[in-house]
Amino acid sequence: MGNDFTGSGGLAGTTVRINLTTGEIKKYPTDKKLMREWFGGRGAIAKILYDEVPRDADPLGPENLFIMCAGVMSGCFIPAGAKIGFGSVSPLTNGHGDSNMGGHLGPALKFAGYDMVIMSGISPAPIYLFIDDDKVELRDASKYWGMGSLECEPVMKQDLGEDFEIATIGPAGENGIRFSCITHDFGRQAGRTGQGAVMGSKKLKAIAIRGTRGIKVHDLNKLTEHVTAIIKRTQTHPNMDPWQKYGTAFFIDWSNKNAVLPTRNFQTTYFEEVDGINGEALVEKCLITHKACFGCWMNCGKYTKAVLPGKQTVYLEGPEYETGALCGSNLGMTDINQVAYLNWLMDNVGMDTMSGGGVVAFAMECFERGLITTDDLEGHTLNWGSVDDAEHFIDMVVHRRGIGEYFSGGTKRAAEKIGRGSEKFAMQVKGQEMSGYDGRHAPGMLLSYMTCDIGAHHNRSWTITVDMAEGRDKIEGRAKVVVYLQHIRPLFDCWCICRLFWGELDIEPEEIVEALNHITGWNINAAESFKTSEKIWNLVRCHYLERNRANGRTFDYPPARSWEDKIPTGPSAGKGLTKEQIEAMLDEYYACRGWDNNGNPSREVLHDLKLDFAADNIEKIGLLGKPLPNGIPTVRGERYKPKAF
Amino acid sequence: MTIFLRAGGQLREMIKPDVDHYTRKLEIDGEKTIGEILRDISLDPAYVALIYVDGKMKDLSFKPSNGQTITLQPPVSGG
Repeated sequence: MGNDFTGSGGLAGTTVRINLTTGEIKKYPTDKKLMREWFGGRGAIAKILYDEVPRDADPLGPENLFIMCAGVMSGCFIPAGAKIGFGSVSPLTNGHGDSNMGGHLGPALKFAGYDMVIMSGISPAPIYLFIDDDKVELRDASKYWGMGSLECEPVMKQDLGEDFEIATIGPAGENGIRFSCITHDFGRQAGRTGQGAVMGSKKLKAIAIRGTRGIKVHDLNKLTEHVTAIIKRTQTHPNMDPWQKYGTAFFIDWSNKNAVLPTRNFQTTYFEEVDGINGEALVEKCLITHKACFGCWMNCGKYTKAVLPGKQTVYLEGPEYETGALCGSNLGMTDINQVAYLNWLMDNVGMDTMSGGGVVAFAMECFERGLITTDDLEGHTLNWGSVDDAEHFIDMVVHRRGIGEYFSGGTKRAAEKIGRGSEKFAMQVKGQEMSGYDGRHAPGMLLSYMTCDIGAHHNRSWTITVDMAEGRDKIEGRAKVVVYLQHIRPLFDCWCICRLFWGELDIEPEEIVEALNHITGWNINAAESFKTSEKIWNLVRCHYLERNRANGRTFDYPPARSWEDKIPTGPSAGKGLTKEQIEAMLDEYYACRGWDNNGNPSREVLHDLKLDFAADNIEKIGLLGKPLPNGIPTVRGERYKPKAF
Repeated sequence: MTIFLRAGGQLREMIKPDVDHYTRKLEIDGEKTIGEILRDISLDPAYVALIYVDGKMKDLSFKPSNGQTITLQPPVSGG
C-alpha cells in the first residue's frame, strides 16, 4: 500500500484512518483546508473531535477517536520542531483533550509520509501501530502488554530496530487509569488529559514509526536564511548555558522563595526543605547527561539516575520542574533521589507525573485527616515524605485494588466517593489536577487554571511574574493577560514546535510566524494566528458545554481551599483570595472573551470567529451566551508589557 | 571594580545593556553582593530566578570579583 499523495508546504501529504475494531486501514490526502484553517496539531484535532465524536460517547469507548497529528512545522528546519500532538475526548475531564510530546516521534511520522493518524473503535486484542514509510500495519502486541512504558521501549527497539521511534503506554493506560500518559524516547510524555487511557481502552499498546523521507517546504532558501539567523543569535543568549545545565528544575527555588511552590497537597506554598529537591540537588546527585529533542540545541532534558536504599537504581529523564514540585514538595519529599524515583515509577507505570503527584498528595492529606486509614491501604500508611507508602499506593491505583479504584479516576472522582469535605482540597479544575504553582497569592495563575480549556494546566497560561509586577493582592486587569496567553501559548501545540525557545530565548511570535510562512506559503501575520487560536479555544469551550450540559461558569471554579484557606506559612503567610474576588475575576474574564456572565460564548463572538455552526449547536441546548449589553470587545486579550521590572 | 551583567527575556531591558544586546558593564565601588548590585540599578531581585557565575548557580549574597560576568535568568513555567 503506497503513499500516492504528494506533500508540500510542510505537510507530508497523507492522512491515515484506522478502524481498530475491523483492522481496516485507509490512506487519503491530508485535508489542506483543515490544516490551513485550524493550523494542524491541536487545532485540527479539536475540529475533528468536535465534528465526529458523538456528544454522549464514552471517552473510553469505541466511538471516541484517538488522533495523533504532527502539524505543519514538526520535522522542519525550525528551532525545536519536534512535537507531536495527541487528542481525544478526555476520560479525565469529559471534554476535548489534547496533549503533546517532544522527542522524535513527530518528525518520524512526517518523514514516513503522514501528517495525521485517526483511530476509532477498539481492537479485539492488544496491538501496536507499525509504520515503516509506506507500510502501515496493526501488529500483535500481546508480548508487550503488561510491560512498563520504560521497559517496553527498549524491547521494541531491539525487536524492530534502533531507528524506529517508539511511543508506549504502561499498565496504567492498559487498566484505564484516567490520568495515564503516553511515553516516548525513554522519558518524554504526552502527559495531560489521559491520552494514555484512551490508547489503553483501544488496546493500542504502542506506536512504532520509521520514516526515511523529507518534507517539502514552500521556500527553503528563505527558511534556511531566517532560521540560521535565529540560531546564530540565540547561541550567545545568556539563558542558554544555565538552561542547558539545569533545565526547568532550577525554578523550584524561585518558586519557593516567591511562595507559589505547592507543598503537602497545596496546604502551603513554602517548603522548608527545598534544598534537598532543587535544581542544584538534581545536578549534584542525579544528573548523568543532558538530552535534546529533534532539531533542538537547548538540551533541556536531564538524563538522570535515582539511587535510594532498598530500591533498584533507576535511570530516567527528569525530574523537570512540574514533577519536582508535584512529586517533591507536594508530597513532602526531602531528597531529590526520592523525587527522581517516583518520577521513574510513574513514567514506567504510565501515569502523568503532574496528575499522579496531585492524586498521591490528595490521598496523603486524606490519610492525614483520617478520611482513609491503614485498613483502606492494605495495612500500609500513607505519610508525607514516604516513598514506600507512595509506591504501594500507586500500585493500588494502577491495579485498581480496593480504594485504589476510587483514585483511578483522579482527585475529583475520588473526592466524590470519599466525601466528608474532601472536595475542598481535591486540587483540580474540570477533573484535571493543578500544575506546580499555588494560585492563592498569584490570582492570574489561579484564573489560568480555572479557565483552562482542558482542565487546570499551566501550559495554556502562566502569569506569576505578571501577578508580581501588578500586585499579588490585586485581581484587576488579570483577565486580558490570561486571554492573550491562552491564545499565544497553544499556537505552539498547533504548529507542533516547542514553546520553550519562545519563553527562554526571546524568539518573538512574529519571527515564528515568518518561519511558518516560509514553510507553508500561507502569508499570515501574528494577529491572524492569535485569532485562529481564539477560534480553537471557543470551539473547545462549545464542545465542553455540549458534552457537559450546564452553564460554563459552573465548571470554572477551583476547589474551596482556594478561597477558604489562607496560606499558613512562608513569605505569603496570611495571604489568599476571597470567593468574591474569584467571582470578580470570572466576570472580568468572560467579558474580555465576549462570553456572557454564565461563561457561555455569545453568538456575536462565535460569528466573528466563523463558528456559527457551534453557536447553533449550543443554542439548541440552551447554552448560547446572552448578547453583551455593550457588544463584544474588538480585541480580546492583550499582550503584556512589563511595567514594574 | 568592573563587573558585567548579562540577561535575556524580561530582565534584559531592565539591566539596560550597553556592551552588546545582552550585556551591561558596571563599575562597582567596593565589595558588594549581587543583591545589593541589583538594588542599585533598581532591579527587584524577586524577578531573578537564577544567578549563574562561571558555570555555577549562586545566590544573592554572592560577592563578584573584578571582571566577573553574572548571568541573570528570569523565571519560566515548567515543561
